[in-house]
Amino acid sequence: MSATIEINHLKKNFGKNEVLKDISLSVTKGEVVTIIGSSGSGKSTLLRCINLLEKPTSGEIIYKGENVLKKGYSLPKYRKNLGMVFQSFNLFNNMNVLENCVTGQVTVLKRDREEAEKIAQENLQLVDMERYVNAKPNQLSGGQKQRVAIARALSMNPDVMLFDEPTSALDPEIVGEVLKTMKHLAETGLTMVIVTHEMGFAKEVSDRVIFMDKGVIAESGTPEEIFNHPKEERTKAFLSRVLN
Amino acid sequence: MKKNILLLLLSVICFVSLAQPLTVKAQEQSPDNEFRVGLEASYAPFNWTQTSPDNGAVPIFGEEGSAYAGGYDVQIAKKIADGLGKKLVIVKVQWDGLVPALQSGTIDAVIAGMSPTEERREQIDFTDAYYESDLVVVTRKDSPFADARNLSDLSNAKITAQQSTFHYTVIDQIPDVQKEQAMKDFSAMRTSLASGVIDGYVSERPEGITATGANPDLTMVEFDEGEGFQTNPEDVQVAIGMRQGDPDLERINEIIATISEDERTELMDTAIKEQPAAVEEVPDGETAESDSDEGLLSDFRNILDEYGILFLRGTGLTLFIAVFSTIVGLLIGLLIGIFRSLPSAENPFSRFLQKLVHGLLTIYIEVFRGTPMIVQAMVIYYGTALAFGVSMNRTVAALLIVSINTGAYMSEIVRGGIFAVDKGQTEAAQAIGMTHGQTMIKVVLPQVMRNILPATGNEIIINIKDTAVLSVISVADLFFQGTTAAGTNYQYFQTFTIVGVIYLVLTISATQLLRLVERKMDGPSEYAMLDELNPEE
Repeated sequence: MSATIEINHLKKNFGKNEVLKDISLSVTKGEVVTIIGSSGSGKSTLLRCINLLEKPTSGEIIYKGENVLKKGYSLPKYRKNLGMVFQSFNLFNNMNVLENCVTGQVTVLKRDREEAEKIAQENLQLVDMERYVNAKPNQLSGGQKQRVAIARALSMNPDVMLFDEPTSALDPEIVGEVLKTMKHLAETGLTMVIVTHEMGFAKEVSDRVIFMDKGVIAESGTPEEIFNHPKEERTKAFLSRVLN
Repeated sequence: MKKNILLLLLSVICFVSLAQPLTVKAQEQSPDNEFRVGLEASYAPFNWTQTSPDNGAVPIFGEEGSAYAGGYDVQIAKKIADGLGKKLVIVKVQWDGLVPALQSGTIDAVIAGMSPTEERREQIDFTDAYYESDLVVVTRKDSPFADARNLSDLSNAKITAQQSTFHYTVIDQIPDVQKEQAMKDFSAMRTSLASGVIDGYVSERPEGITATGANPDLTMVEFDEGEGFQTNPEDVQVAIGMRQGDPDLERINEIIATISEDERTELMDTAIKEQPAAVEEVPDGETAESDSDEGLLSDFRNILDEYGILFLRGTGLTLFIAVFSTIVGLLIGLLIGIFRSLPSAENPFSRFLQKLVHGLLTIYIEVFRGTPMIVQAMVIYYGTALAFGVSMNRTVAALLIVSINTGAYMSEIVRGGIFAVDKGQTEAAQAIGMTHGQTMIKVVLPQVMRNILPATGNEIIINIKDTAVLSVISVADLFFQGTTAAGTNYQYFQTFTIVGVIYLVLTISATQLLRLVERKMDGPSEYAMLDELNPEE
């Protein structure tokens, strides 16, 4: 299977602080990759570098055979192929639920409004939010907002979905509804890269788990390998910390 | 990028034009077939404003059909215009604006009871005198100074006079006088005198007769022969101000010479008799003391009857200027706000341009936030006239001044509004693949608009009130019309109470309207599907 996105020797510095040190990673079509690791290990930065919300200091990101970091590559054109779900939802506050899912389709993909609304409604149905089309973001609970955010990203028919700690800002009792939605998506064969602290979820849905530590990929493998037979000492130490 | 270049160009044009030499040329005038005369229209009996064309009054330029100028000056102006074979146009200009208006070519002559002083001669030329008068001191009847016969009788009196007139300088001749701050016009001095703030003011005989006629509590101190103020003959003379080097000066002198001394006295006597205050307050025998509450009410009614139309026009203009300027100011603010939010350019040349425009914008904002609007009005209105020889339409000038002033404030407000939009909103839009422009238009600006709405409402209200300062360039807004009415009827309290109430109605309506817009923008507090809402909501 060919790689949808291939990252080679990616580095990112914030001033003198080296946050990502020589990361290489490729994501295959249909694959679900979860990235775990302690706070400050660079996993969110890696995800944000993938859709260039952070500009990498060096390295390359290959998408459809082209390095998206080379000069003159159109950022918006690249980004529309990647769906992003943020920790803090970031629904457009000035739009209702339906409009949140429609606006990108109309302005970026140039779909006509009727078609866009139909697609938006389908995706809202998928996340079980179709009854709330008229609600404004500030009228929804966190879990509801995050499900709308997922529908918004899906409505763009992305090649890859990126999830940046999608449940970290949610009350524990609501986390389940979002994870359920994501699990459902994973089963449809969508390519997903997920940064998460939910180990049980990572174990269950991932094709591959990546453990990051201090800006590098410390260990990578199947859930079975990482969770049950970790090779690296730091992986073991991390897992024993979070699982107990 | 186009916007940047446009902004840059605009700024450059502004700077270049300001750098041009300030020159005055006599030939840059109003149309050749017109004789444009500037006067205050509130200095009876020389000139005043009335609402009917009776007694040979002449329509006031820009207010035709609702306001007419009458008085001695107007009658003289008519004779001169006839003699020149030109059409007389009366332009209402505030006292301090008369000389600049003449120099800038907005008007052709000042016939406003103006004395040809040395200082003024440095700026403009004067014709021969068309009137000569004595100086008097107007005081209250119950004042200890009411019976003064010479200057020393006025020792320790609190005396003032009109700003920028020789009346104010001669006060120093009174021994031990308490010279008060000079005042803007005679109406203000009369009010101060009536309220006891001052003991008297220096004036000329005709004005004194008018004042005492209008207010029976006032009296006029006339000095014995040789005991009064030492004056320069040029000071007590009243002459016509002309632009330096104006070729019409000779012909006007010839025309003035044909008006005999007797004819002048007769014209002045008629003017004193016809002036609005004298006509209004002639209830024989009745004194002001009998004024009751009912009297006050009827004062209000009378003022509304007489000046209602003027006030309505003033209100319309005030509202128009306030609303238009706030909208334009908002657009300026948005443009600047967006420009400032642009990511810095990659190309070094564009980056340099960007920095340059940033600098110019900062100067613009600092200058217009850091100086009083009244000063900006003076500089822009008279400055453009001096620099280009074109005199702007006053309403256009007002719109321009208030707009760019508001723009300076709004750009800071917009900056705050953009700042208040969560960074996550921009990131989410970019993650979807929106360009910077799309992100701005679809996501950020609508939220900015909502954020800045309360502050914009504030600006509208401030602008409704602050247009009042534009009266310095004679913009006929509500305040200006109030001054006109009060300057003619001397009922300061009553007139400005009415004006105040109108302002209040305007601002309160504006506030309510904005609340409505806010609610509309926020949408219903509950959304459709109520029945299906989770109980936790």
